[in-house]
Amino acid sequence: MALLSVEDLTVTFSRRGRRPVHAVDGVTFSVEAGATVGLVGESGCGKSVTSLAIMGLLPRRGADVGGAVRFDGDDLLQLSPNAMRELRGREIAMVFQDPQTSLNPVLTVGRQITEVLERHRDMRGRDADREAASLLDRVGIPDPNRRLKDYPHQMSGGMRQRALIAMALACKPRLLIADEPTTALDVTIQAQILELLKELVVDSGTALVMITHDLGVVAGLCDTVHVMYSGRIVESSDRRSLFAEPRHPYTTGLLASVPRLDSPRGVPLRPIPGSPRDLLPWAQGCAFAPRCTRRVDQCTAVAPDLLPDPVTGHALRCYNPWPPGGEAVAVPAPIVAEPIVAKPAVRRARKKP
Amino acid sequence: MSVAESESVLLLAEHTGEEGGSRLKLAFRQLRRNPVAVIGAALILLFVAVAILAPLLAPYSPTHGDLSNITVSHVPGPSSKHWLGLDLQGRDELSRIIYGARASLLIGVVSLTLGATLGMLLGALAGGFGGWVDSIIMRLMDIMLAVPGLLFAIAVAALLGPSLRSVMTAIAVVNVPVFARLLRASMLGQRESDYVLAARSLGVKRRKIIIGHVLPNSLAPVIVQGTLALATAIIDAAGLAFLGLGSADPSVPEWGRMLTDTQQYLRTAPQLALFPGAAILLSVLGFNLLGDALREALDPKLRR
Amino acid sequence: MSLLEVRGLKVHFPIRRGIILERQVGAVRAVDGVDLDVERGTTFGLVGESGCGKTTLGRAVLRLVEPTAGSITFDGVDVSSLSAEEMRKLRRRMQMVFQDPLSSLDPRQDVESILVEPLRTHGVATGAAARKRARELLDVVGLPASSGGRYPHEFSGGQRQRIGIARALTLNPDLIVADEPVSALDVSIQAQVVNLLEELQKEFGLTYLVIAHDLAVVRHISETIGVMYLGRMVEQAPSDDLYAKPRHPYTIALMSAVPIPDPEVEDRRERILLTGDLPSPANPPSGCRFHTRCPFRQPTRCHDEEPVLRVIEPAHTVACHWAEQIAAGEIKPASSAVVS
Repeated sequence: MALLSVEDLTVTFSRRGRRPVHAVDGVTFSVEAGATVGLVGESGCGKSVTSLAIMGLLPRRGADVGGAVRFDGDDLLQLSPNAMRELRGREIAMVFQDPQTSLNPVLTVGRQITEVLERHRDMRGRDADREAASLLDRVGIPDPNRRLKDYPHQMSGGMRQRALIAMALACKPRLLIADEPTTALDVTIQAQILELLKELVVDSGTALVMITHDLGVVAGLCDTVHVMYSGRIVESSDRRSLFAEPRHPYTTGLLASVPRLDSPRGVPLRPIPGSPRDLLPWAQGCAFAPRCTRRVDQCTAVAPDLLPDPVTGHALRCYNPWPPGGEAVAVPAPIVAEPIVAKPAVRRARKKP
Repeated sequence: MSVAESESVLLLAEHTGEEGGSRLKLAFRQLRRNPVAVIGAALILLFVAVAILAPLLAPYSPTHGDLSNITVSHVPGPSSKHWLGLDLQGRDELSRIIYGARASLLIGVVSLTLGATLGMLLGALAGGFGGWVDSIIMRLMDIMLAVPGLLFAIAVAALLGPSLRSVMTAIAVVNVPVFARLLRASMLGQRESDYVLAARSLGVKRRKIIIGHVLPNSLAPVIVQGTLALATAIIDAAGLAFLGLGSADPSVPEWGRMLTDTQQYLRTAPQLALFPGAAILLSVLGFNLLGDALREALDPKLRR
Repeated sequence: MSLLEVRGLKVHFPIRRGIILERQVGAVRAVDGVDLDVERGTTFGLVGESGCGKTTLGRAVLRLVEPTAGSITFDGVDVSSLSAEEMRKLRRRMQMVFQDPLSSLDPRQDVESILVEPLRTHGVATGAAARKRARELLDVVGLPASSGGRYPHEFSGGQRQRIGIARALTLNPDLIVADEPVSALDVSIQAQVVNLLEELQKEFGLTYLVIAHDLAVVRHISETIGVMYLGRMVEQAPSDDLYAKPRHPYTIALMSAVPIPDPEVEDRRERILLTGDLPSPANPPSGCRFHTRCPFRQPTRCHDEEPVLRVIEPAHTVACHWAEQIAAGEIKPASSAVVS
């Protein structure tokens, strides 16, 4: 059985006098222990709201959550706020995008970690301090004993994100949800954090839900990828197959619109026309239809269902997908960079937890 | 803005359905939907209407009373003839409250206009020029702020002798540093923004940038402060009148003085303290509610 | 002759202490001796991570911040010697596009007045002629002519950036400095703006100085790329050259860190991880500024001898003592820095 299974999750924001907004509209996916699942999409696609719904962090008023979120068999949506608070931090932890605002500025980093340890693992005093230091060490913060006494503003962005990950790991959670954890960071720091997350999944068998807009991040990290658009999953597959044979026009559109570092210059990008705001409500057809180049009449009549694709086996929500290897993905052959590093000489170095 | 942040903003944007029009129009539309703003505006409207229409609304003269029914142990309370009863001089309490609104409104509007104008002028000079102009003006404002507001007002009013004019001057002077600092801080914030840099890179002249871009965009907090300061001015006016620093003519009805006059008769005629107190409370509440709603409507970060 | 020539540019921000008797206790060396040339009609891409000084450099070129030392020559004119009024006039020919399209537009101006303002400021056109030009510009950047009466908050991020670009074009400039022009936009929108910038360059013969942290975007649009680290240029080369043969250890690490949306490539790649954080630009390390984090660091020279930017191949310059040895594979990165 999957560790986490989200079944037909819906989140509707309603406000007096305004039309309700279906931020998440029937999302189903599952995460096995030790696996990494990516939720990919642009702003407004519902990926962040999905993660907040799983964590039970949506406001009680105004947000209407439906469906089921089964974690280890229990439906989290049915738990009492107290039971959910117990679970949060202990079993499920979350890392947010902005390490600056996610830490309390008036407490030392050490205090914030030991607080979690006291609350969920009943550790006190020197034990808690020692554990906090070892957590910081584990996420690659040098000189952890000294760093425990630092306030968040004394740390750099990358260091703060590491400290947040250390906090999230304090209770050895079985599921970690990372919402754009590297978006605010520089690319060399991003590489460090992604490497750290990879190690965590491998070493401690933590399941990881990675929420991102960056297809590059997904390509190197996730086992399974769900591409979301306007509150629904439009294509899901394992990572290799998704990038090798993307079928949904939105997936192919995303891939064709980002410049690749290894593609030759002078090839114009193929953007997706319009903006993510140009939506069709799912009730009236496919939400992506207004921006889609492969739109057929059916698309604006009835919304397509998420069905297994007979060709690739992806789950696909499209009437007229690109043929596998269709022209939209015909990215010119990468030019080969000279090897800089002699390949076999080095082995991956890993810190023991 | 980062991507995840913009996600929530976008959600909200779709949520509000972002209609067209300038930001002011948008803010106004939001105000109309906010019950707090509506209640606040209604209270203010009532207050202003009462003040302006006082001669039409007041059933009796506020200055002439009939002492025949008044004794030390008995002041007649509300009756069908006198809805709020009579005061110690036998004057109709309701009429006095109605006329009292005039003094409060007059003091509030005049002192605020004076204080805010002078304060904004100084603030705009400081925020616009910067450098030593800024330093001198702001140190001056700091000195003024260092003295507690009401104490300062009492000193000014005492210096000028008790009259409505001195009360207005006193409250105006107290408001000057508040508005000066607020506008300057707001302008400094706006001066750092990208659109000012953009205007500079377009070669727009400095003076035009300050007057055409920085100043108009810095006014939102000042408008909010204006409504809140009106509330404070009404309280301050009542306070000064309570302390005997109001109008020189004791027969002119003022809510603050009405409180003072009754303080020794609280046991026999508590209603005489209650009614002017309620009048002060409601008018101040009106301005405060509207001020809060305005702050919410004008600050995009607080918009929900 | 290059349209823009920057020589030995330094921008230091003084750190002051004290309230009444201010005294300078140090300086943040945001830009600390940079040379660059931008040829007419081409795009120069400036990459580097936050704190490397690329934004300050871009602003100093337009003299939106005052350079501390060095010269900026624009079309043969020494910009740094101009008076404020002369500079204001020259601004017609040098324009800027900003990262955050919303905050760079005055929220109280409608689109038409945003576009008309520069025309009026420089006395190019007023009244109906200016409004006509505004409508033309909207068309050029792909916005409906009816957008003129609307306000910035009514547009999506991509549309706002188009407004920002239209404003930069109003005065027919020669040079546009674009500071992170797409990084605030959604992925699918970024490509629209990148393509628009490329089309406009072809149509109007524009010269771009593009400042960005996204190496893939910069490589896509630039003929030449300069890599900055801690206020210094560490490597400069034609775009394809830089990608195929990065010579500076920082460029190598930066490039290896950029994720590529292709699992086949990602699984084969080796990554060179940098350790530690960016040192403070107020107190940069001695010798080579990168030596504190460099995976190729050598026991000699790196920590006590500042490398100069030197030509190692035609049009390819690098500021590393050991560039040749690293290229030849004689010096290998510390094994702990390499992950696959």
